[in-house]
Amino acid sequence: MKYQWDFPAVWGHFDMLLVGLLGTIKLAAVAIVFGVVIGFAVALLRMSHRRALHVPATAFVEFYRNTPPIVHFFWFFYALPIVIGLSLEPFTAAALALSTQSGAFYAEVFRGGIVSIERGQWEGARALGMSYRSALRRVILPQALRRMVAPFVERSFELTKTTALASSLAYAELLYQAMQVNSITFRPMEVYTTIALMYFIVLFAASNLMRLVEARLARIG
Amino acid sequence: MEYTWDFKIVLDSLPLLLRGLVVTVELWVVALAVGLSLGLAVSLARISARAWLNGPAIAYVEIFRNTPVLVQLIWFYYAFPIVLGQQLSPFTAAALGLTLNTSAYSAEIFRGGILSIARGQWEGARAIGMTRAMTMRRIILPQVMRRMLPAFTNRAIELAKVTSLASLLAVNEIMYEGRLISSTYYRPLEVLTVVALMYFLLIYPGSYLAARLERRLAARG
Repeated sequence: MKYQWDFPAVWGHFDMLLVGLLGTIKLAAVAIVFGVVIGFAVALLRMSHRRALHVPATAFVEFYRNTPPIVHFFWFFYALPIVIGLSLEPFTAAALALSTQSGAFYAEVFRGGIVSIERGQWEGARALGMSYRSALRRVILPQALRRMVAPFVERSFELTKTTALASSLAYAELLYQAMQVNSITFRPMEVYTTIALMYFIVLFAASNLMRLVEARLARIG
Repeated sequence: MEYTWDFKIVLDSLPLLLRGLVVTVELWVVALAVGLSLGLAVSLARISARAWLNGPAIAYVEIFRNTPVLVQLIWFYYAFPIVLGQQLSPFTAAALGLTLNTSAYSAEIFRGGILSIARGQWEGARAIGMTRAMTMRRIILPQVMRRMLPAFTNRAIELAKVTSLASLLAVNEIMYEGRLISSTYYRPLEVLTVVALMYFLLIYPGSYLAARLERRLAARG
């Protein structure tokens, strides 16, 4: 059987795919911002010496790291509304699922970076009379942040790819829009190949750009 | 608003959930076993000096790593049969997508491991008359497997989580059964929470062992 390719049929609906791409970028950006905030807070709690703080923070991280993202998406969309008595938009549920989940992973990035700074630096800063907070802010974090860049970037790429799961909540990101185009054109081969290429171009370009940034940062040292 | 929990539904449908768990494990084992073997082959092609071998291998790895795994599964289920001229069962499409995805990631792990072995070992093996293939099998790979064990375990954990995406192709694994039960009885809160816990129980022991193993290997140096 000879298959007749028909990419133009799909490209006629390229505007729909672009809407989807914007939806993907919007969701990823919101989840990265909130994920970083959550991750930083959780990392500090996890490193606390008080059990009442680090036990819940550790449980949070371990729960998210050991359960599949799709379960979080469905849980926030279908189960959480029952607890709070309020239904959620697909975007809100997806953003909540993604930012808490990436919060757990970013927490490990922050913690890894902070723990990697030798104890002596803490002791030195304290000996100079700095408080815990100013030692963290002025001595530890500036050094730790540089070591966090690579794992942070890697995590953010994972997060961006995970946004595709929001299609299952009917949020109009790239994959969901592709399904719509497919139901108009009946051209799954062309549609799904086109969006795979779109994801590839965006992610591959971004990852090469980040590699340049990382190389520059490494040179500054 | 007071919510009345009802876990009886979940208990009644436990046999269904357990059947789903079996399918999850099947998918996981198939994709891991075949994905790792294929990954070794791809990594050998990738480190080859011949352009016609390493060019395609690089493209293969980069395509799978820079597109969302859900898009890959959907592509194998809806688009690939058109090229093939034959419909694939959901399980076959999911297993195929997950296997190839795993092979691309594990190819990078193998490659990292092989390149990390000191050149002197190759030279030493050559000097006592071993062929390249024999050196690879008897000297290099055993060390790579040991050194890369934590990376492989992490990959296996990721894969266990990713198998849940097969539910979106209607493979009757645990997430699919969970969604079916929750929409039949309209009890998403209880059912999805239990499904999340079942995944946690399945995955956590592996990631706990992996973390211990990593610490032990790091301590030994």
